[in-house]
Amino acid sequence: MLLGLIRPSQGSIHLFGKDLKKEKLNILRKVGSLVEYPSNYGHLTAVQNLEAIRRILDVPKSRIDEVLDIVQLTKEAKRPVKGYSLGMKQRLGIASALLGSPELLILDEPTNGLDPAGIHEIRELIRSMPKQHGITVLVSSHLLSEVEQMAGTVGIIREGVMVFQDTIHNLQQQAAGGFQLKVSNPQEALQLIHAEGYSGELNKGALMLTKMSDQQIANVIKRLVDNHHDIYRVEENRKSLEDIFMQVIGQGGIL
Amino acid sequence: MMLGRALSADFLKMRRKGIWFLAFLGPVGLLAMQALDFGLRYDYMMELNASDLWGALIQQLSFFVPLALFMGSTLIASLIANVEHQSGSWKQLLALPISRSAVFTSKYLLGVIVLLISCLLLSGGTIILGLALKFKAEIPIQQLLSFTFLPLLAALPLLAFQLWLSLIIKNQALPVTIGITASIASLFSGNFPAFVPLTWPTYSIMDSATKQLLLVLY
Repeated sequence: MLLGLIRPSQGSIHLFGKDLKKEKLNILRKVGSLVEYPSNYGHLTAVQNLEAIRRILDVPKSRIDEVLDIVQLTKEAKRPVKGYSLGMKQRLGIASALLGSPELLILDEPTNGLDPAGIHEIRELIRSMPKQHGITVLVSSHLLSEVEQMAGTVGIIREGVMVFQDTIHNLQQQAAGGFQLKVSNPQEALQLIHAEGYSGELNKGALMLTKMSDQQIANVIKRLVDNHHDIYRVEENRKSLEDIFMQVIGQGGIL
Repeated sequence: MMLGRALSADFLKMRRKGIWFLAFLGPVGLLAMQALDFGLRYDYMMELNASDLWGALIQQLSFFVPLALFMGSTLIASLIANVEHQSGSWKQLLALPISRSAVFTSKYLLGVIVLLISCLLLSGGTIILGLALKFKAEIPIQQLLSFTFLPLLAALPLLAFQLWLSLIIKNQALPVTIGITASIASLFSGNFPAFVPLTWPTYSIMDSATKQLLLVLY
């Protein structure tokens, strides 16, 4: 819908402060996109594929070499695309999206159907975009772990309604649960912690502590060590993005 | 210009898709048929048509021109549309900063250009064939051009229809079947009323040559 492929049933879309309905072509010029699966002309080489798009975009020929370099396909550029692996096709798709030097890059499920190495490759590529080229990247994905590793700001859409939008940092802050301590003598340790004025409980032989600051946790550990407890593990009990996602979806957006 | 850019991109996409081979095959096939006809019974044909050799050659060729144009339109339209269907690149194409009308107009123009080239090849090839058969009379340039280009003009609506079919139907078997059936039906265009588009290419050259030919055949 952002690319003008589907008409919204109501409302309007503004990108770069312009109305999509009125200035579609001007907006699309600043947007690069990769829609679902990579769509290349298999009988053409990577260079020819990019050339076909370049002719429509009317950008200098040198851009082809530049984008091939960005996605590291320069070596394979002269081969017909039908012999490419899915990861290479996906990278070529990103190259086509970058061809017009966009300010906004819209990637739909960029790591779909890729093997772990491919996913890693694409992820690194996407992460480098804002840093090296100053491009804003909008990624849609249902792979939450991917989002967690890529995104700076996340939004969750449920049944067509944006139910959550915030930075990933804030999200993780909210996700942070308590700490879990494994010690040699949990019972005594718990008493010690209660004596110090912190709340906590026992769970399967581990000490569960509520959320506390770095200073507080350092203090707890110091006290335990001073009292000759052996500390095996200190773990942060963090909720995954998935948990938060389910929570948001389930609660209908009250987080 | 936006349309020009889209057209040049479309030309690039059609590389190694056999579209140029097709544009070449049509006229060469028709000419080869006549070369065989005239070549095998050279003396008979030369004597039979002594009064107007060029006219006879053009007459014989023009019977097949509408058929060839219809088949050509069908296959070219299918090839042009299928490039995008096959690679699933419609979304990507339409998300580029280019208007939809430019995208589709460019595809239609590409088809027209390919057919134009075919017609030019046929007109030119007829001259070469005539000269090779040692036709002495003056070359009737106007007739040579009109027997290919008038039917082309009349076949453009069908090209548009075929392109539309090929664009909206992903599986190219159906548009191609419809197109080929229409091409074959066009052979009997003498039996249809003039408002049927299939008859238009035939009517476009009827006054000069084909009317007689059709009468002979029926």
